Amino acid sequence: MALPNQQTVDYPSFKLVIVGDGGTGKTTFVKRHLTGEFEKKYEPTIGVEVHPLDFFTNCGKIRFYCWDTAGQEKFGGLRDGYYIHGQCAIIMFDVTSRLTYKNVPTWHRDLCRVCENIPIVLCGNKVDVKNRQVKAKQVTFHRKKNLQYYEVSAKSNYNFEKPFLYLARKLAGDGNLHFVETPALAPPDVTIDLAAQQQHEAELAAAAAQPLPDDDDDLIE
Amino acid sequence: MADKEPVVDRPEDEEEASAAAAAAGGEEEDTGAQVAPIVRLEEVAVTTGEEDEDVLLDMKAKLYRFDKEGNQWKERGTGTVKLLKHKENGKVRLVMRQAKTLKICANHLVASTTKMQEHAGSDKSCVWHAADFADGELKEEMFAIRFGSVENCKKFKDLVEEISESLAKTEGKETEEDSSAAGLLEKLSVTEKKSEEVATKEESTEAVKETDTKSAATSE
Repeated sequence: MALPNQQTVDYPSFKLVIVGDGGTGKTTFVKRHLTGEFEKKYEPTIGVEVHPLDFFTNCGKIRFYCWDTAGQEKFGGLRDGYYIHGQCAIIMFDVTSRLTYKNVPTWHRDLCRVCENIPIVLCGNKVDVKNRQVKAKQVTFHRKKNLQYYEVSAKSNYNFEKPFLYLARKLAGDGNLHFVETPALAPPDVTIDLAAQQQHEAELAAAAAQPLPDDDDDLIE
Repeated sequence: MADKEPVVDRPEDEEEASAAAAAAGGEEEDTGAQVAPIVRLEEVAVTTGEEDEDVLLDMKAKLYRFDKEGNQWKERGTGTVKLLKHKENGKVRLVMRQAKTLKICANHLVASTTKMQEHAGSDKSCVWHAADFADGELKEEMFAIRFGSVENCKKFKDLVEEISESLAKTEGKETEEDSSAAGLLEKLSVTEKKSEEVATKEESTEAVKETDTKSAATSE
């Protein structure tokens, strides 16, 4: 199961290819899962960035190697060369931009040339934005090509786990597979000397003055 | 005109009806292709790591970590934060999990040095420093947490401070009997609220007595 240039792990792992127009939120979506942060700034991905993403399921631990590819043509690097040996895929478009949905067929065609008969999830991102241009009813490509479709928001976390859960179920052939708690290991004891504690308190006071990211309180309770 | 209107209406009604049915059923339609599974996974026993702990607090919240390089707060996750007390050694730790994926956002002991500070811009938030073990290795972090209400924030903050103060007393008075601190922590398990502050030795003694009374009641 080990892929070239990939570190091997003793639990199931899969190469997941993520494609779609530039600016649709591919990198932001992956980063949301990796670190929890929501990256507002747009920096085009150059070539590809590969990130391992682990999940704990009722059938044990699994890993997706997320191949986050360039959406902009000029940064495409090896382009569809990154798709080789892809075992599952996400095609992302932006519901606030009609053009990104119009280009989905092209991404799908290029992907399927290299990866035959793999599970693919189509994602319509940015559904938190009020003035969306592509309505849910207008999204029909997935039915024609046998893809699964999820409306997602990397900002509000709406449906953000669904693409990975769907792909995991398909790869395992188990419709009942589900995510479970990652084991919380017992943290070791820590001894802090007085000088370190005072420094921490000073740093904390400075940090407490920095604003928290703009937020909707509605997200909690 | 009269003849055309019903014809136009029906497809929309049907479409909405089927959408409503799908929503009511709660099941997702699988429009994906049939693909051959490439792995065979067996069900395994799930261990959360919390089996030996009592839950002192369980609330929804949003967690941030301070990025020193960028001098800014960044989101760490939205989910549930728990304060957990070990049944044997009495240690209390904070564990926060991301909703849906159930991954760990924070995992650290509540120490005698754990101090909660208010966040300048929000009365639903507080900040603290911790040696975090979320990724399986200790890492110094500054956390901020935001709750849905001022009341919930106060409940969390007060409980953490109560625990760290108890620990400080234990560490500061090692000659004191362990039962005193254990009694205080035991009391925390029974009730999350404490209307009175334990400031004097007499009140500590009373707390221990109350615990003894409750223990006696339990054994009967």
